[in-house]
Amino acid sequence: MNPSAPIDDVLIRIRGLTTVLGRKKVFDALDLDIQRGKITAIMGPSGTGKTTLLKHITGQMRGDAGSIEVNGENVPDMSREALYALREKVGYLFQNSALLTDFDVFENVAFPLRRHTQLPEVLIRNVVLTKLQAVGLRGAAGLMPSELSGGMARRIALARAIVFDPMLILYDEPFVGLDPIALNQVLKVIRTLNQTLGITSVLVAHELSAIQRVADRICLIANGKIVAQGDPQGIAHDGSPWTRQFFGGEADGPVPFQYPAGDYAQALGFPEGSP
Amino acid sequence: MSQRKSYAVGTGLFIVLGFAALAYLATQTSSIANRYAGATYTVDAKFANIGQLKERAPVKIAGVRVGQVESIGLEPNTAVADVKLAIDLRYDKIPADSVATVFTSGLLGDQYVGIEYGHAKQYVAAGGTFSLTHSSPPLEEMLGKFFGAGGAADAIGGTYKVTAHFSNVGALSAGASVKMAGVPIGQVVSVVAEPTKLDAVVTLAIDNRYNQIPDDSAAAVFTSGLIGSQYVAIQPGGSPDVLKNGDEMILTQSAMQLEDLIGKFLVNGSGNADKKDAAAGK
Amino acid sequence: MSARMSPDNVVVRSLAQIGDCGLFLLKILAALPRSTRYARETVRQLWFVGAMSLTIIMTCGLFVGMVLALQLYHVLSIFGGTAATGTVVAISIYRELGPVVTALLFAGRAGTAITAEIGLMRATDQIAAMELMAVDPLAYVVAPRFLAGLIAMPLLSSVFCALGIFGGHLVGVNWLGIDNGTFWSNMTATVDVWQDIINGVVWKSFVFGAVVALIAVFQGFTAPPTSEGVAYATTRTVVASSIAILALDFVLTAFLM
Repeated sequence: MNPSAPIDDVLIRIRGLTTVLGRKKVFDALDLDIQRGKITAIMGPSGTGKTTLLKHITGQMRGDAGSIEVNGENVPDMSREALYALREKVGYLFQNSALLTDFDVFENVAFPLRRHTQLPEVLIRNVVLTKLQAVGLRGAAGLMPSELSGGMARRIALARAIVFDPMLILYDEPFVGLDPIALNQVLKVIRTLNQTLGITSVLVAHELSAIQRVADRICLIANGKIVAQGDPQGIAHDGSPWTRQFFGGEADGPVPFQYPAGDYAQALGFPEGSP
Repeated sequence: MSQRKSYAVGTGLFIVLGFAALAYLATQTSSIANRYAGATYTVDAKFANIGQLKERAPVKIAGVRVGQVESIGLEPNTAVADVKLAIDLRYDKIPADSVATVFTSGLLGDQYVGIEYGHAKQYVAAGGTFSLTHSSPPLEEMLGKFFGAGGAADAIGGTYKVTAHFSNVGALSAGASVKMAGVPIGQVVSVVAEPTKLDAVVTLAIDNRYNQIPDDSAAAVFTSGLIGSQYVAIQPGGSPDVLKNGDEMILTQSAMQLEDLIGKFLVNGSGNADKKDAAAGK
Repeated sequence: MSARMSPDNVVVRSLAQIGDCGLFLLKILAALPRSTRYARETVRQLWFVGAMSLTIIMTCGLFVGMVLALQLYHVLSIFGGTAATGTVVAISIYRELGPVVTALLFAGRAGTAITAEIGLMRATDQIAAMELMAVDPLAYVVAPRFLAGLIAMPLLSSVFCALGIFGGHLVGVNWLGIDNGTFWSNMTATVDVWQDIINGVVWKSFVFGAVVALIAVFQGFTAPPTSEGVAYATTRTVVASSIAILALDFVLTAFLM
């Protein structure tokens, strides 16, 4: 729970990550530890680079400086092959599920197995049905992605992400656009996966109530840094202006309501100083 | 899984169909279709001139295809073309004294070897030779035979030679016919450039039978028809003296260039422009 | 990138596109060894770009052969040379119309489908998902489609030519009354396997297939992940392919003939 936790407990260790995209400094010497076997939620105002952070962890994007150690290996230094080997052990859930529209549900879940292994058909079938059962959609094996609702598609994508029993799952906005029932179903699956398989989970999300029910730990990112972190109950009351605005739902605060702009009166064409 | 299998089967069918189409094109619509799958035997034939005959050209008897030209070579140290004919084994009763001739199918068609049956009791065997052959008759000669009495080639009474200078002979070449009143009376022996005068000297061999040509006659290079070959036409003059061996014809008219002609016809001055260009070039 | 910096300069933009496209080809070639284990995917793509294009190719081949015979018959009859109809139909189809028209149809039928499919896969994060499942999209998505185009084009072209000859025969012999024997014997006497069929049909369409497939996968893979971007990329596939086919046709003819 504090930065000096034993090394074994930290799966992802980010130090001094700095990334500049265009003129915007997305990360400014960001430090972050993700605990092994826990569910960590990363929150923050829109546009602070939460998804970008996930892309850094999987090596899809590279920062300008800093290190990202996943399971003791530094991702930015990895070769293509090493990166692909790592990705086999990491599940990633896309915001829009990203199911392969060419294949039915069964083949979508079987896709990583078929690409990376030469398992006999019987075994593939067993693994796939097990994973589908875990997300509660074994009956949908024959459907095409276009026939699925948003919540079902997300659960199928989740089944696909866990087909190799990964050590880590990254969830990119898993709750967006779900009705309360579907949201609860996804929540249940996330919690079950974490508890039964001990999979480390990183969630990027906005839904505070949902996160408070599932996360062990919350990190709040703003201005390219971690501005607050702690357990779901404690963090909202740590007294920082960031948490007060974010969890208190205030429109104005450290994150201004107004996007930075020139003088208002001047923009409207009034002479300076006029009432 | 069944979905995957059906793709594989469909794709397999597609590939088979594609290769079948390719095989069809290659074997049924191309020259391979003319190759004999059956056994053949080879017979030699020697020709003085094979004209445009090519390998794989057909060999025909009475117009029916019986084989093809296998190879064409030159007999070592001679000017004789050695043509090997591959003839289908079904036609193994060809008399040994049959005549092989290089023919042209139609006026502009490809050439082929025709075999006319002889009367000998022996048949030509594999590796044998047709000793009697007719070479490819030049088109001009044939036309001459067809049109004119006594073609240029059969100059029985011998010839006498005269020369003529042309500023431009067009596509005139040795072997072209020399005509008077449209009748062939001889042929062009040589066309060479004159190094000092920078014009073309054409030597004409005229049949001795026509020894009464006035020495002021004019020689002109004409083209037979729009795309025909070129020939030298002699227009008789009025002088009492006649041309003799070694004489030079003074009055000549060069070949008319089709381009010039069309230019003159369409644009009045393009001929002049050409001349200016030519002058500038000099 | 330089393309975006000078949007007004068509020449610079086109050159940048050609350069990017060439680099992309190198990437595909580098990915080819890794794509060998996805041979089944290549077969599947061969079904989509090849077998599914058969109907349009066959129909067009038939009509091209028919109209060619009809036109040539009337022109050749002026010179009394209608016997050459079969020859001229075969030569013009083998050397030019077969490979070129097939390639243009292929670009319109299969090229656009490839571009749109890859473009949408990128727009819906399927490409990114594959990368995160440790499946190289170049080896799994791009290379099989490229290979399929490469293999399918000569086969489609052969089918087109066969149907073209059939159409020419239908019109020339069955309708216009050219002698059947004359039609075939003149054709077989003139058409050369190497010059007309291997060089003309197979080799040309192989090159066209490579170019069309390359342009299609390149445009799809680099399409902006928006509906407008995919639509624009699809259009560009057809335009760029058509120009490339006709320009290359000239170059290849100059080299091969």
